[in-house]
Amino acid sequence: MYHLNAVTLIIVLGSFLIVTLIGFASARWRPAEDLMQLNEWGLAGRGFGTFVSWFLLGGDIYTAYTFIAVPALVYATGAAGFYALAYTIMVFPIVFIFAPRLWSVARARGYVTPGEFVRGRHGSQGLGLAVAATGILATMPYIALQLVGIESVLTVMGIGSTSGNAVIRDLPLIIAFGVVAAYTYLAGLRAPALIAFVKDILIYVTVIVAMLYIPSRLGGWGHIFGVASAHLEKVNPATGKPFGSIVVMPAGEWAYATLALGSALALFVYPHATTGVFAAKRRNVIRRNAAMLPAYSLVLGLIALFGYMARAVPAVNADVKASGGNAQLSVPLLFAHMFPSWFAGVADSAIVIGALVPAAVMSIAAANLFTRTIYKELFRPYASPAEETRVARLASLLMKVGALGFALELNKTFSINLQLLGGIWILQTFPAIVIGLYTRWFHRIALIIGWATGMAYGTFEAYRTPGGGQAHFGASVTPVFGHITYIAIAALIINLVVSAVLTLVFRKIGLQDGYDETRPADYLADPGTVPAAAAPGREAPGREAPGFVRTR
Amino acid sequence: MAQPASSGKSPATWGAVAVLLAVAIIGTLWVPIYARSMPELGPFPFFYWYQLIWVPLTAVILWICYLLLRTKPTPGRRAKR
Repeated sequence: MYHLNAVTLIIVLGSFLIVTLIGFASARWRPAEDLMQLNEWGLAGRGFGTFVSWFLLGGDIYTAYTFIAVPALVYATGAAGFYALAYTIMVFPIVFIFAPRLWSVARARGYVTPGEFVRGRHGSQGLGLAVAATGILATMPYIALQLVGIESVLTVMGIGSTSGNAVIRDLPLIIAFGVVAAYTYLAGLRAPALIAFVKDILIYVTVIVAMLYIPSRLGGWGHIFGVASAHLEKVNPATGKPFGSIVVMPAGEWAYATLALGSALALFVYPHATTGVFAAKRRNVIRRNAAMLPAYSLVLGLIALFGYMARAVPAVNADVKASGGNAQLSVPLLFAHMFPSWFAGVADSAIVIGALVPAAVMSIAAANLFTRTIYKELFRPYASPAEETRVARLASLLMKVGALGFALELNKTFSINLQLLGGIWILQTFPAIVIGLYTRWFHRIALIIGWATGMAYGTFEAYRTPGGGQAHFGASVTPVFGHITYIAIAALIINLVVSAVLTLVFRKIGLQDGYDETRPADYLADPGTVPAAAAPGREAPGREAPGFVRTR
Repeated sequence: MAQPASSGKSPATWGAVAVLLAVAIIGTLWVPIYARSMPELGPFPFFYWYQLIWVPLTAVILWICYLLLRTKPTPGRRAKR
């Protein structure tokens, strides 16, 4: 069904080769005095200014979700898929509020991950472990989503066989991922930060060309909206209801708003987003970036419209139908049918590299979490920085293997569900992390029980929701009191109520609270020098960064 | 958003920032405002152009908030332990 186009293939292979070289070379970019410090491998020395941070954060949080999953949802269901635009609009005001405080306390205390902050703030090893484990769990399906994105490009390019054996079928994907794992292992966060430049240039070029070129070939936006609207009004034989709508219906408004808000609250408690924040050099870099990152949201909004463009191309619809209704192929198919093959190669490269960058940052972030909050806390409290870095490197490889498992096992009809499932889990760490930045009113044990309740409820609700042809984990919205609601928000409310009630009970019975190792000034700190790399309170004498010695 | 007074900004500044950020969030959170197709902007239904316009609007709002809250770095702070 899909023909291997030599020109497209050469361009994609060429781009992959270039970013691979950049990935390996990046180990020498802004060279570290000692790469075997977790600060260096996992946060690139915390030295990124506004410019690099903008590319890194943009490259990190706009993923295959943006390029494949969202337009696929718009292609299939119309306006409902646009919640992603609302989400990426409201996420930056939210980031603007709390991320500078998180950055400051992490910088002042030498935290590399949110798990360490939670442990230090609430004086609870258990809560820190819960946050770390949740971060790792929620990141897996998110990395898997990146793999699904790459896979759909490869499928349309005609690479990969139809073998029944998953390993043979996905061999090109596994090889590509192996290469990324290798340079991430070597260079740490420097690799995705440098490759993010290539990614973003390719993405912006693709989007601008597509917006200028495709609508005119399709007879203008009026025609595109007309075709999409006519399709969405048709009745879906599987459900007996229309496929969707061009404007959100009153019954869908609540789902739209909760999906947007839930995703926005969740984004910056994801480990990969906090890693991008912690790598910044100055506190002001975060706020400046919150004001400049919406440029990517505009790109997301325009890419979402690709879903309607794809609907207006009959050849795309025919190919999607032939693939068994896999809407994820709609954007790569749009490129294949609308662009000359060389530019289809550029656009396909944009998606592939656009998925590799976040996958690399996510695996680094999860590896940092594992090393600092699980390995060091539970097994080796006096691990040296070099040992930490070795463990983190290995953990980043394991994360990628785990994500491959997720990608090969779970349903791919709507890969967006992988991201939404991760969102349900990660949002349960919001009270401990974000509310913890402002107040220690909640009791540490109440927070743990609230977290556990939210996780259990969210997982159970997601498990029993059918959809997309599978009986379990089929969708991430469910009716709550008669309104279709994003499960993450319902679970968060349950989490907060349980935490609040138990806090009152525990205070009443005088259950001892934890010791807070942070100080109020830490939350506003803006030091220009990087603090000691080792965990606070545990650093060996004389381990402090030279900058501090100088300023005494 | 309760920041300690040590950040050196007046309550009026914090109030202004809080209002601006609330507007930026509610603008797209309150779906009934824009879940309609009229008025159209060219071929774009209201639902689409309203949200797309919020993107640059949010950027401008956040830039204003950034300028309001901008502080000098605290030089040479010592590491705590």
